Amino acid sequence: MTAAQPLTFHARAGEKVRDLRLQAALQKARPLFVGKRAKGVAALAEDGLDFERLRSAGEEIRNRVLADLDVWLEIFEERARAGGAEVLWARDGKEICDLVIDVARRHGVSKATKSKSMLSEEADLNAALAAAGIRPVETDLGEYIVQLAGEAPSHIIAPAVHKSIDQVEALFAREHGRPVQPRSSADIPAMAAEARAVLREHFLSADMGITGANFLIAESGSAALVTNEGNGRMVTTLPKVHVIVTGIEKIVPTLEDFATLMRLLPRSATGQTISNYVSLLTGTRREGDGEGPTKTVFILVDNGRANLLGSPWQDMLRCIRCGACMNHCPVYFSLGGHAYGWVYPGPMGSVLTPLLTGLENALELPRASTGCNQCGSVCPVRIPLPKLMHRLREEQVVRGLRPRRERLMIGAWAWLARQPKLYRWLAARAARYLRWLAGDAAAIRVFGLAPAWTEGRDLPVGPGRTFHELYAARKRA
Amino acid sequence: MRVALYVTCLVDLMRPSVGFAALRLLEAADCEVVVPAGQTCCGQPAWSAGERAAAASLARKAVAELEGFEAVVVPSGSCAEHMRKVWPELLADDVYWAERARTVAERCHELSSFLVDFLKFAEPRADFSGSITYHDSCKGLRGLGIKKQPRELLARVPGLRLTEMNECEECCGFGGAFSVEFGEISTQIVDRKCESIAAAGADAVVGGDLGCLLNIEGRLRRRGDNRTRVLHLAEVLAGGSDK
Repeated sequence: MTAAQPLTFHARAGEKVRDLRLQAALQKARPLFVGKRAKGVAALAEDGLDFERLRSAGEEIRNRVLADLDVWLEIFEERARAGGAEVLWARDGKEICDLVIDVARRHGVSKATKSKSMLSEEADLNAALAAAGIRPVETDLGEYIVQLAGEAPSHIIAPAVHKSIDQVEALFAREHGRPVQPRSSADIPAMAAEARAVLREHFLSADMGITGANFLIAESGSAALVTNEGNGRMVTTLPKVHVIVTGIEKIVPTLEDFATLMRLLPRSATGQTISNYVSLLTGTRREGDGEGPTKTVFILVDNGRANLLGSPWQDMLRCIRCGACMNHCPVYFSLGGHAYGWVYPGPMGSVLTPLLTGLENALELPRASTGCNQCGSVCPVRIPLPKLMHRLREEQVVRGLRPRRERLMIGAWAWLARQPKLYRWLAARAARYLRWLAGDAAAIRVFGLAPAWTEGRDLPVGPGRTFHELYAARKRA
Repeated sequence: MRVALYVTCLVDLMRPSVGFAALRLLEAADCEVVVPAGQTCCGQPAWSAGERAAAASLARKAVAELEGFEAVVVPSGSCAEHMRKVWPELLADDVYWAERARTVAERCHELSSFLVDFLKFAEPRADFSGSITYHDSCKGLRGLGIKKQPRELLARVPGLRLTEMNECEECCGFGGAFSVEFGEISTQIVDRKCESIAAAGADAVVGGDLGCLLNIEGRLRRRGDNRTRVLHLAEVLAGGSDK
């Protein structure tokens, strides 16, 4: 498992807030994500569908799977094997890497093309492959860009959303061996075509394709792949070996259930009625098939997921990785995904990172939320993300992970708030003090007790008397 | 109707005029208003920090002092949401308190929803002239479904024009302790809100939660906007300043 980055979230956040190029990229992307989803959801009515009822159906399907996950996994394993695939199990990131490298060695693989897989990010698979002498080539355009930059994806469905067009141009010029040209958004199709030409060579020469799976369908033993660029098709049909690395929670019972979830996933992610490509991959190339791998391997990964079953955070396992929560998150769009320090950013990352890498490794994430619940209200499978973050805050307290000073202060304040007379008296003194600090002004510009507040804004203050003081005086009068 | 006014700790300390405005509105709606003397804080800050025991102790204290009223009115969607939704959950496993907390929670109302949904109150005594834009605070909006109530009330104020800002339902970045613990991120978020407010070009930005309003006002002033007034809904509806 990739370790969380050494810098604290605070330090990373500070860097990101001041990165003007990043801020420009994020501000450009945000209204697109929000607007497209809103349109996609509104368009459901044209088909006589109700989004809230679909959400309930999606929630029910995912809950049904989680209630008997072991059973569904066994059914999937049996059906996938019947179709000719091999099914392997990985407990953690290291086991993913070992298994993939072992499959690669068995088949003499020297180059692997990849379609987006967040699980491979959890395992840091690319680094492990490279170390084993196998060249991994990311083929999703965004993933290709971040791989060239030596970075991790900053968004689960738009990995390079943090990059400006100039940054991409510089990377392409370097990688593709040509001079840098001035670029505008009109050049995006040409740049994409350039990447496609390079990637085509890789598609044709790779011995192995590695993908994730958006869903695993138990009744048919299939992997469902939802993509927009067509690279997924190339990765899954051209190489002789196809390895699918995905989490054990990605199971859905039937094709019918899959169809229901497909009404939710693309709409929530990009606002599309359906993505450009939807592949259902079952088994290996059969006799008479013109294409397809002769070897298909599923690697089903736990990496901390089974621990969440039956825990107060089980709801998180419903996640279908659409990205809507981060697309509607004010914190995500102030920072971008890299600030979150591990694979998953935004609200779902703030829940998953501590749960999968250890609460003590991500103490700030569940607290770095305004509690606005914009995420919870768009989640297509109704994951109560703010509630799950809140439970993590409570768990930090229960496990003694909060600083002593903070606990003492809250304890003292809560005690004081239960002593109304003393509280009133102190509040009255505080009101006078604030008024005095502001002087003749309406607000305090530098407030030593909460410097973080006045770093960015004034603190407007009242008349120097509390409501209860004034109310008591009025009653006496 | 005998109504308890729970002014909130923030209004008590930072802006008493909101409490008096709420008081005048309730009296104008023929309520017998009592301000329970022992009230301090609903406990949301402790709850947000994950301090369940401290939050529960404050919930018990508040439930005990609010039990005798037909209704409890709060000029804050955030506090009202905490009282209505979190108190019963916090005390659900406490045999002695669970039922009492549920009963009191059901009687707690955010001010605008109390006036519109509960009292069907029609006549604010406002004397506002000019344009305003309304910021929907998160907890009231997404937690309690408060959206049309403040707008219905504002629509009845003669001389007041409502100009909706872009993304009025976006968070302002306050988030209680969040604004201090993650000040830089909070500033980044409230900047977007300030830009929406500026683009709406209204004389005042109005909202139903003092926390958000202090955050927005503080940032507007720091950005050099000394013109746009920042007002609580109650202050607009009750008319006349009473600071």
